[in-house]
Amino acid sequence: MAYTDNEKLRVVYGDFTLGVHGEGFSYIFSYAQGGLESIVKDGYEWLFRCPKPTFWRALTDNDRGSKFHIKSGHWLAADMFIDCQDITVIMDGAVQNCKAPDNNSYGGDVSANEITVKYLYKTISVPSTTVIVSYTVNPSGKIKVDVHYDGKKDLPELPVFGMRFILPTVAEKYIYKGLSGETYPDRKAGAQQGVFEVTDLSLTPYIVPQECGMRMDTEWLEVTRRTSQDRSKTDGSQHTLRIEMADAKFDFSCLPYTASEIENALHHEELPPARRTVLCIYGAVRGVGGIDSWGSDVEEAYHISAEKDIDYSFYIC
Amino acid sequence: MNACIKWLDNPEIFRVNQLDAHSDHSYYLNYADMEKPENPLFQSLNGQWDFAFSKNAASRPGNFYEEGFDASDFDKIMVPGHIELAGYDQIRYINTMYPWEGKEYHRGAYSLDSTGAEEGMFSEASYNPVGSYLKHFDLKPTMLGKRIRICFEGVEEAMYLWINGQFVGYAEDSFTPSEFDLTPYIREKNNILAVQVHKMSTAAFLEDQDFFRFFGIFRNVTLKAVPDVHMEDVWFKPVLNPDNEHGSVAVSMRVSARKQVTVHAQFVLRDREGNVVAENSVPLQGLNGNLTGEIYTDVGVIKSWDNHHPYLYQATIALKNAENGELLELVPYDIGFRRVEIMDKVIYLNGKRLVITGVNRHEWSPKTGRCIGMEEMHSDIACILKNNINSVRTCHYPDQIPWYFLCDEAGIYVMAECNLESHGSFQKLGAIEPSCNVPGSIPQWKEAVMDRARTSFETFKNHTSILFWSLGNESYAGDDIEAMNVYFKDKKDGRLVHYESSYYNRAYEDTISDIESRMYANPKDVAEYLSDKPKKPYILCEFMHDMGNSMGGLGDYMKLIDEFDLYQGGFIWDFIDQAILVKDPVTGKDVLRYGGDFEDRPADYEFSANGILFADRREKPAMQEVRYYYGLYR
Repeated sequence: MAYTDNEKLRVVYGDFTLGVHGEGFSYIFSYAQGGLESIVKDGYEWLFRCPKPTFWRALTDNDRGSKFHIKSGHWLAADMFIDCQDITVIMDGAVQNCKAPDNNSYGGDVSANEITVKYLYKTISVPSTTVIVSYTVNPSGKIKVDVHYDGKKDLPELPVFGMRFILPTVAEKYIYKGLSGETYPDRKAGAQQGVFEVTDLSLTPYIVPQECGMRMDTEWLEVTRRTSQDRSKTDGSQHTLRIEMADAKFDFSCLPYTASEIENALHHEELPPARRTVLCIYGAVRGVGGIDSWGSDVEEAYHISAEKDIDYSFYIC
Repeated sequence: MNACIKWLDNPEIFRVNQLDAHSDHSYYLNYADMEKPENPLFQSLNGQWDFAFSKNAASRPGNFYEEGFDASDFDKIMVPGHIELAGYDQIRYINTMYPWEGKEYHRGAYSLDSTGAEEGMFSEASYNPVGSYLKHFDLKPTMLGKRIRICFEGVEEAMYLWINGQFVGYAEDSFTPSEFDLTPYIREKNNILAVQVHKMSTAAFLEDQDFFRFFGIFRNVTLKAVPDVHMEDVWFKPVLNPDNEHGSVAVSMRVSARKQVTVHAQFVLRDREGNVVAENSVPLQGLNGNLTGEIYTDVGVIKSWDNHHPYLYQATIALKNAENGELLELVPYDIGFRRVEIMDKVIYLNGKRLVITGVNRHEWSPKTGRCIGMEEMHSDIACILKNNINSVRTCHYPDQIPWYFLCDEAGIYVMAECNLESHGSFQKLGAIEPSCNVPGSIPQWKEAVMDRARTSFETFKNHTSILFWSLGNESYAGDDIEAMNVYFKDKKDGRLVHYESSYYNRAYEDTISDIESRMYANPKDVAEYLSDKPKKPYILCEFMHDMGNSMGGLGDYMKLIDEFDLYQGGFIWDFIDQAILVKDPVTGKDVLRYGGDFEDRPADYEFSANGILFADRREKPAMQEVRYYYGLYR
């Protein structure tokens, strides 16, 4: 049966996943993997694994000096291991019963004006808390991502909070509208506003690999790749994924390594060959500090309390 | 006189037969020589030397300086350079610890009731490497018939010198020139120079800087032919009048004459366009070849020197035979007019409140360590200017001489620090514990630090860029360092004296520094001090520790400049990461290595890398923040 309504989303209520399709895009929301498993645009895949909430950025020398890792180190574990406990699908405002066998009732011809998929994650922190990530797709293919962190008393301060997207191959470049250079909440006064292109995604060469590459206050970001792991795709044409701000500007970093990979290296040559793109879109970032590297904390205004809720949103276009 | 190995152990012996420290002026026989790329009176001995490495003094080739010594089994080494980077001895980085930490128990001589002269500490140590250097040379024809001296601009950490089998002298203080007279022993051809360099001596207690611990001849070695009538020392004292528009110059001269001659000194001052703005001529007075003279001249309306307009005038002194007008020697020096003063506890430069947007700078190259050349210096000046840095503290030793001339030209304010850091003797596991501090108030250590003050002053006194003398870094406070302050104050050269460690020992608060200087105080602490009856102008001689990804919160320090007139800025720690470029045997790539990477233990690891530049001189991302804030205040 031909699907003809370009004004609506075509929805596939599968047994393992929910497929959401439209002109030039196909998204797979996985029940099995606990997240958004596939973003295909113009036939080109953008995800290596499901994006997950991130609670860790690699330590800085100042963090080590102030023993931030001793106070907040269990966020590293929370960053590495997280449990997806609940998934909710909402179609045109109505919550759906879409697990098998209930999905038999949808049949093959489902269209919608709007699909929202909510993933509820439970952290392994002690005490545990929850993060709800909601993806809302409209027929243009634009995905709004709403992220809610549930503040919990007695949790130590966070180094960052955001969403980590791992792209299958190394990006060629990215362009963004925001602040020049690498910026942090306590180090951005000297930045210029503008549109900037970054073609060298390698880590900033601090002698001990550490947190780097943060870009604060961003309006939009376009990541460009040419390579694919799909061996049938050999044309090397350029593809771009665009992230846009929703209610407020976002912070991001786009590097070839995860925080835990960076954490694991004492020298750059100990890092594995760069083969992915790790794109983190942050809703909260801790400052880097600078008073000294042997005890002084980052100034109070640039801490992130884990006891308060964090809400932020952005678009994947 | 013969060399004595026990000098290594004795804090009271630090220079033997060295020429007195003097101003760092150039000199020429005539105007034509001034235009030549190389001064015919100078001969560089840089290059390949013969070299032998020994693990300790006992195993050194003791008679290597003798004529006829068979050096056929010596290696080759490049001078200048660090012996460790040439592949001998372990590369090592430590911060406050002394190099013998955990290996030998040492306390500075006389530092405790239970310690005496400690003879043998270095001369009989099982580990105290020795570099034995030999250089064969002929004198350049243009130097023949003149007095010949040799200048070692930097040798770490103690050196003995022989030429043609004769003992010449001994020197410590690794970072200032050591000069010796070779005239009695020099030959036209086939001279054999022998230098024995020891990694450690009592100077090790005073040179405990937070850096890679190297030894060897690491700065230029130059032979200098001295004209028969020679300006041994000159002190230009330009004065900017309180109206900031008019000025005068006084010049003090000390001249040596090898023959009986009546000498006139003719002083000419030119502006940048070459117009003569002042001149004066005086006969020199004196006996037995030791002549002195004083020149004073009113210059009238002048252009002052500062960071924004580093206007220098060209001073020239021509020494002439008074009888026939023959030119005997020419001494050029560029000088600027500026005035530093404290009024109502605020430092002013040329009548304006001084604001320091500074940085601490070690000399560093990832390939050659502290052995750097003009290329690195020019690059650093350009970086400093580009990023609105207006001041440099030469942490924690005097830099190579050209650096001060470059700062004069570029208008960079210099805090000129003596070669002194003994934090291993009082900073222990984060606590202030001065029980065995040197130099402290120990009489036997006083002259060693006084010599460092004297050499700094005499060498660099003519540099317009130097606004502050700094007695050293992190050496605690006692009578010996207080005496350094007295020495500098007695010179009445208009500069201020800086020392930080009175913070640790308030008994010396009023007698050791013109400035309340702190390091790494947080913005709140600075404000508290300045809000509670401050006694002096306040600077942070080190702040914003830029280790790794840092420099957050700079704005909170910069605001203090607006809030408190007495807060006059600070020096970021520091300019360039100290790390060493090596080939990674696993990947074959050139990579940067730091403390502990050479199996050096105990170590302080990556603490060597706190620059606003990476070790390869690329700017860290934080530089845009420095450039912005410093641009608002410079």
